[in-house]
Amino acid sequence: MSVVRPARCLLTRRLVTASQPAAPRCSAPFHSSSPLAKRRPRFKNIRAVEMGLISPEKVEEFSKENFPAYNPEEMEILRHTFTPEQMAALEAGEAAVDLKDITLQGRIRRDPYQLNHLDDFSNIHPIVDKRPREIEQPLHPESKFMNETEHVEHLENYLQSMIPRDVNFDNMTAQEAEQILNTRIDFNMKSAEYFEEASTLLGHPSVKSNAMAPALGKKIEGIAGMYKPPIDPADEGLDDEGIYQNLKKKTGLTVRQILDVRSKILVTRLVHNQTRLGKVRSVWIQAIAGNGDGRLGVGEAKSTEAQVAVLKAKLLAIQNLQPVRRYEERTIYGTVEAKVGATIVKIESRPPGFGLRASHRLFEIFRAAGIHDIAAKMPRGRNPMNSVKACVEALRNQKDPNEIAIGRGRKLVDLRNVYYGGNVM
Amino acid sequence: MGGVKNFVNLCSHIQNASKARLGLTSIAHSKHRLAVLLAMQRAGLISFVTRGGSTPPDPAKLATYEPPPLTTANIAKQRLWFGLKYVNDAPVIGSITNITTSKKIWTANLKQLEKLTRGFDCNYQKGLDLGECLFVFTSRGTLESREAIEKKVGGMLLCRVSP
Repeated sequence: MSVVRPARCLLTRRLVTASQPAAPRCSAPFHSSSPLAKRRPRFKNIRAVEMGLISPEKVEEFSKENFPAYNPEEMEILRHTFTPEQMAALEAGEAAVDLKDITLQGRIRRDPYQLNHLDDFSNIHPIVDKRPREIEQPLHPESKFMNETEHVEHLENYLQSMIPRDVNFDNMTAQEAEQILNTRIDFNMKSAEYFEEASTLLGHPSVKSNAMAPALGKKIEGIAGMYKPPIDPADEGLDDEGIYQNLKKKTGLTVRQILDVRSKILVTRLVHNQTRLGKVRSVWIQAIAGNGDGRLGVGEAKSTEAQVAVLKAKLLAIQNLQPVRRYEERTIYGTVEAKVGATIVKIESRPPGFGLRASHRLFEIFRAAGIHDIAAKMPRGRNPMNSVKACVEALRNQKDPNEIAIGRGRKLVDLRNVYYGGNVM
Repeated sequence: MGGVKNFVNLCSHIQNASKARLGLTSIAHSKHRLAVLLAMQRAGLISFVTRGGSTPPDPAKLATYEPPPLTTANIAKQRLWFGLKYVNDAPVIGSITNITTSKKIWTANLKQLEKLTRGFDCNYQKGLDLGECLFVFTSRGTLESREAIEKKVGGMLLCRVSP
């Protein structure tokens, strides 16, 4: 078989296709449904030309408004700053650039290397931009280190400059003069300034012996006045660090009231999270809070920092303050039992003067809640965390006598109250 | 005491029905059960109790409902229908514990019953707590402990009902 034939075939086909208009690759429909009509926009677009936005007059107007020429006063300022040669170059540059080009061609950058913010670099923004480097003056060729007499003279001038001009030291005793000087001048600062800052070169006073960068001032340009510390005058200066502000919003308590709530840490546990990088040690804190008058809250928090965990737990406890039902504002209603895990806490009401007979954690809970007569038992487990949880649950589980009376449709009478004619408190 | 076993069944049935939040339930008829249920109704623990057949009485016509006459022919199929009460989505009867069982009969005389009702432990029994009821089988019928004290009788301790 000849090799020429397929080549000729290919060539002919190529020539044929080249001479004919290109047919669609495949005219057969791929699916039976009729093709959709060509989508049209819902609203007619209006071209900028039709709105008259890019007419020559508009372009000129925009250029004049946004890129005005220097006025004589500005030119005067520039002339003051630049040399005549620089001014000539500047004017030539101004004349060379067509304003129309700037208007039509200048646009906001959309390239991948654009800045994250819009900027024409006319101002230095202290947060975004680097601090401009101070222009170092070259050393004067004739400057030299001071000799002894020059040092003394320099020190004398420095001391002279410290003397306040508005005070008349004539007819003043040495003591009085010293008193005034001590009040007016901070000698420690001044001496530090002399040794750290003052130049040791003659004829070049701008050179300082201190290599440290100047510290940030209190009023930083661009930031000053923008951020106000969240100090509420209603807090009476009790919360300058803003620790209680969130809690204040959530609870509606004032900072004074928040500080008056008694909180106490009942359980501390050191817990570890084993990761592939080692153990991450944290502190888990369970705290209670109570106003000593029928309100009780529990907060639990964990953090790698003990102080953070303590603060979080205490704030949560205050946030969770809820009323606890109390009989005669001294004990509970009847006998209640609650179980968390293996720990059962059983609390029983007791007569006045009985006191708090409970384990130390439960004692703290009752004291915070404002309960004065109670007996508590933990017949089974005494896990610290679960005992606190179970005790609080028991206090919340108390039956409401009113609800019992309503449910049974019978009148329930507090016999003690009736017997003593209401004088039970 | 054939009635004790029946009665223990009643206790567990009421507690189960309460936990299942049933509004109306029934148990096979017996005179002891009827007596206890009537005492519970007097104490306000159940809303009503009536004898009936295998279908419950119409709750809308309970006030005028007449149970069928008791005959030897139908007595085996008679049931006690009673309504359970709830308040704030919690049952009025939280738990029932029977004290007397067929294995051991517990009794309390008037003095002991008075002590128990005032809330003091007595005769190996815990004193009554807030909202609790004690039902006693006495010579004057089945009564709540406070009724029994009023009538100055003691008797067999049947069950303790807690809210």
